[in-house]
Amino acid sequence: MKIAVMSCIHGNYEALNEVLIDIDRHSAEKIYCVGDLVGYGPYPNEVVKLIRSLDIPTAQGCWDEDIVEGLNACECSYPSLLAEKRGKLAHEWTNKEVHPEVRQYLAQLPHTLKENNLCFVHGSPNSNHEYLLPEMDAFAALERVLASNADVLFCGHTHIPYVRTLDSAQLQVKVHQPQNKEERSISFNAPLKRIINVGSVGEPRHGRPNATYVVYDTETEEVILREVEYDYKKTCQAIIDRGLPPIFAWRLARGLEFAEKADDPTHVCER
Amino acid sequence: MWAILSGIEGNLAAYEAVLADIKRQRVTVEELYILGDLVAAKPESEKVIKRIQNPLSGELQPQVCVGWWEEQCFALHGLGSLAEPTELIARYGKQTAKLLWDSVSRETVQWLRGLHFGFFELDCLLIHGSSVSVSDELTPQTPPWQMLDRLQRVQANSLFCGRSGQVFECQLQSASIATSVVTLDNKQPVQTVTTLQKRVVGVGNVGREAGKATYTLYNPKSARLDFKTVFYGCQKGFGS
Repeated sequence: MKIAVMSCIHGNYEALNEVLIDIDRHSAEKIYCVGDLVGYGPYPNEVVKLIRSLDIPTAQGCWDEDIVEGLNACECSYPSLLAEKRGKLAHEWTNKEVHPEVRQYLAQLPHTLKENNLCFVHGSPNSNHEYLLPEMDAFAALERVLASNADVLFCGHTHIPYVRTLDSAQLQVKVHQPQNKEERSISFNAPLKRIINVGSVGEPRHGRPNATYVVYDTETEEVILREVEYDYKKTCQAIIDRGLPPIFAWRLARGLEFAEKADDPTHVCER
Repeated sequence: MWAILSGIEGNLAAYEAVLADIKRQRVTVEELYILGDLVAAKPESEKVIKRIQNPLSGELQPQVCVGWWEEQCFALHGLGSLAEPTELIARYGKQTAKLLWDSVSRETVQWLRGLHFGFFELDCLLIHGSSVSVSDELTPQTPPWQMLDRLQRVQANSLFCGRSGQVFECQLQSASIATSVVTLDNKQPVQTVTTLQKRVVGVGNVGREAGKATYTLYNPKSARLDFKTVFYGCQKGFGS
């Protein structure tokens, strides 16, 4: 069965529409979304309405969580001080704009979706705010997939799509406890695991303005990273017309974030 | 040599017994680390803090970091990252929360607030729980990939912890993994990643079990560990 997985729509209705058309072209039978329906973009209510009307199983993103609970995370919510400053402006705008029923819908979204050997999260199994970057330590990346109890972990949050394969993992452990006279030696092996970051529909950061998402075949295990052109200028204009900070239009048109990177992307907020 | 202990939990007699045992060692102990849980819901918690703050002449000044019980104090006094002491109440009930409130003064809580989250010395992380949180309990049963993750997060080769109260050493040897990344524009070839030998050490618990304290001696030059058990009170005389 072919499935489509998307993330980080961020109130970009134009991009979502075009991605849904592209999903139809690929004959995906089911669509999953790993959150961040709102924030940055001009149409949060419309995006949520469309997702709900199509009954798309959706995991909660960090933006969805923050709109419900308020910005009560520690400084880890954003990858940089600059991103935080911009993010707060977008949060205030979105917070004023979203309808009560939209807030209610975002509040009941689960942190994790599970389907057989597939797991769907926004950031990581630990937190909506953790970034699983492609250069993350391979053993730490494997631990995240094992923590999800799945073979394939779908995530978003970084806005840059990638497929990471983690194979032939081996680990020898020797355990010594004074009350037991003998040391125990144990061998651990992990079968093939994958992290599939599905990129971003509405706020891409891979260097081009096109929307990105993923098509996955559950039988062949083939992954297709999709890049979809859409009329991003229309969204940019709406960002300006609706009173959002123009920087979001500027960076959407370039497909880049233009901010420094997080010191510790694996930091887990303990709020 | 370093002496590493955790979990005094308001048991002054146990702490005194461990200090006496440290003095009895033939090798010189140059550093004394206390990995949290100095206090607990016990009336002698204040006395333990005073003893730690005021070592006797010739004794080492302990290097202290916060533990789970200290975090519960912060939550009770509205000074921590947690708004409510939910974990404390769920685990021990409201009666214990009240006893903890009565056992540790606000002044002491303010002092505890100034303690470190952990220590990074040479290639060792010394911490109550793990690099994730004070509540993170590592034991010999913890999945080894999780242990490796806790070490890799801070690029440490050894992690000394006290949350479980258990005494153990888990050596993570010869780990390897093949990894590759495909992006929209690049396909990175498969790379095999390996790690150096690493280990997680449970340093024991000083005050939880009446009459029996455990702690750890560590030689950072030879990387040798020596787990110590001290019997005190009515069980005195059976030290190992």
